Amino acid sequence: MTMPLETHLILTLDSDRLGEFFALFQQGVAVHIRLGCTLEELLCSQWEMDPEYVKSRITTIFLNNRAIDDIAATHVGEGAVLALSGAMPGLVGATMRRGGFYAAMRGAMTYRENEDARTQGCSTLRLKLFNLLLPELSLHFLKRGIVLERGRAMAFFREREPEFWSGCHLALLNGTQVTPHIFSTTEWLTTEHLMLMVNDRNAP
Amino acid sequence: MEKIARIDMGAAGGPKVTEEPVGQYAGLGGRAMTSIVVATEVHPLAHPLGAENKLVISPGMLSGSVGSMTGRLSVGCKSPLTGTIKESNAGGQAAQVLARIGYAAIILEGKPEGDDLYKILINKDGIQVIVDNSLKLMDNYPLVEKLRQEYGDKVAYMSIGSAGERLLLASSIACTDPELRPTRHCGRGGVGAVMGSKRVKAIILDDAGFKMRPPKDPEKFRDANRKFVEGLRKHPVTGEGLPAYGTNVLTNVLNEAGGYPTRNFKSGNFEGAANLSGEMQAEMEIKRGGNPTHGCHRGCVIQCSGVFNDKEGNYVTKQPEYETVWSHGGHCGIDDLDAIARMDYMDDNFGVDTIDMGVAIGVAMDAGLIEFGDWQGAIRLLEEVGKGTPLGRVLGCGAEITGKVFGVEKVPVVKGQALPAYDPRPIQGIGVTYATTTQGADHTAGYAIATNILKVGGDVDPLKTEGQVELSRNLQIATAAIDSTGMCLFIAFAILDQPETFQALLDLLGSFYGIEMTGDDVVALGKKVLSAERDFNTRAGFTKHHDRLPRFFYTDPVAPHNQVFSVSDEEMDTLYNW
Repeated sequence: MTMPLETHLILTLDSDRLGEFFALFQQGVAVHIRLGCTLEELLCSQWEMDPEYVKSRITTIFLNNRAIDDIAATHVGEGAVLALSGAMPGLVGATMRRGGFYAAMRGAMTYRENEDARTQGCSTLRLKLFNLLLPELSLHFLKRGIVLERGRAMAFFREREPEFWSGCHLALLNGTQVTPHIFSTTEWLTTEHLMLMVNDRNAP
Repeated sequence: MEKIARIDMGAAGGPKVTEEPVGQYAGLGGRAMTSIVVATEVHPLAHPLGAENKLVISPGMLSGSVGSMTGRLSVGCKSPLTGTIKESNAGGQAAQVLARIGYAAIILEGKPEGDDLYKILINKDGIQVIVDNSLKLMDNYPLVEKLRQEYGDKVAYMSIGSAGERLLLASSIACTDPELRPTRHCGRGGVGAVMGSKRVKAIILDDAGFKMRPPKDPEKFRDANRKFVEGLRKHPVTGEGLPAYGTNVLTNVLNEAGGYPTRNFKSGNFEGAANLSGEMQAEMEIKRGGNPTHGCHRGCVIQCSGVFNDKEGNYVTKQPEYETVWSHGGHCGIDDLDAIARMDYMDDNFGVDTIDMGVAIGVAMDAGLIEFGDWQGAIRLLEEVGKGTPLGRVLGCGAEITGKVFGVEKVPVVKGQALPAYDPRPIQGIGVTYATTTQGADHTAGYAIATNILKVGGDVDPLKTEGQVELSRNLQIATAAIDSTGMCLFIAFAILDQPETFQALLDLLGSFYGIEMTGDDVVALGKKVLSAERDFNTRAGFTKHHDRLPRFFYTDPVAPHNQVFSVSDEEMDTLYNW
């Protein structure tokens, strides 16, 4: 018998509890992706975001610590770190904006494509969300599922206050309904990774 | 704003007040007024803390009107920190109130004999200079509380803390916010020490009996203001990002970009950045009953200020700005927002520049005085500044002095002033501004990202890696102009993206003064200001060789991009060619 690689947890929460996941997104969460696509395909096809939203709201993008200008010409490779941000203040905010007037000021920070980024297959990407995109996109990714390392997942749930659990209406651990007290134990997560999915109870 | 008041603090028999028409300075405000007065009237070789230096206080061209975002106050002098000309500006209520009273500038001149300390009351009855030795060595928060008991809550206060009185070179001048907290500071360049050298502890501005400044064309002004406000509210930076998270929204992004100077500019990434982010800060403020969305002066639409409370819900300080969170945070290897908020309060209370103070502590850490990351130690060092101990005086004189005293080789300063929170190696263009600005290293000197609209100096291909100098030049010109209007620099984001908002700004200025304003007029004003400043610095002994970053930026690559600063000296020397 082989052990599963991931434990699956599905939560149904009140909308006002979703902010508790923002810190995870700022530091980065893993998400499964198909490699070999452009960033535009990843955002608009794999992740099913409205192209107009991508154009108007996701105005600052970093791939592996480098600012992106052209999402249609940028490929996402193995082990990538992708950070998405809304418009930023300051000269440097304007400098980081994709395709912006001040892009010339960032020099080495600008992303340069290499062939390794065109590898095919499936992988995980580390996704970070910042500022205005946290409330706008966190649920989008939570519904699709994010992957947390064991220690991080256990720490996250151990640190939740009673208010969080009072806003949690259903918790399914590998398909079985569980009560919040299980998350204060150490036994509930035995795999290296947790696939977490969250539904908004108040969503229409 | 038809008159200028001169207060000769060194006059025989005690301080003497004279008033005069604006004369040759007609039509100037803000930075244009302070810099042109200083360049015209102050001997460039004067000692900054001597009788020959002048402290010029000027509201912006639109301050005191009902126009939105017009509350910036400029203070100018020869800087004791840099030796150059200096303009330092702040929000708060002072600009609006001073403009409504009718002064285009208050100029403090001379230097009194003896050690009496003065406060200056400016109201409908004129200007009184009053000896008040009971205020000696008070810090800003208790000082304002004491003044409120005498002058009440319907005034604005400007003040210096103990640092300014002790003539520390990083000392600031505080302006009170709408809640009468001394939280908005003319921070850079040691302007507080110049006020301290004149023995002026506080200025009380009372506009009772005065009305808003009327525009020449009220209807056009009202219409322009409406369009201007609409433009600010609909833009994602000024209408959403800044109100929600304040300037500290930049921490995550700069860190992700690898441009977040960490542990005295040793790296471009800080592992604790997420704990310092504006997103985290706003969440803490909301949970604790603070407020992440607050205006630093009445009439502010952007509301990027805020209130930071402790865990028990008690006020600690205003929402620390990005630069402060960086200087006391990542620069020092500290990732605790509560500790940083406490240091922000101490900076405001003692009256020191949060950038130079934080950078000085990081330099002291580099010297081994305390370890990077030791927030308790950092607070202890700051307490030394408040006590005025010899160590505190060294630190309170900023990063350069601290580096010299402790033998630190790599000190991030230009012309004696500490670099702000953007590493110039990965962001080369900002390095050009740090090096060449007339003010010493200053991110706000090239902040007005409206050069594409202004067409300052022609178009630059944004995708070429060359052209950093031209970009910086254009930014500095645009910034000098906006600094003169009294407008907050944050309006630049809406101007950058929305031509109709830029037109509304021109219409605000034009309808207020009854003239037709064009982009060319704005550019001409910016150039005039920069030329005057540059000329002063030249006469003060500054040459192109001072327009350089510290050597280590040219020799030490910084992770993660492993870049050095590579804009050539020859290119940088062309910045003022226009």
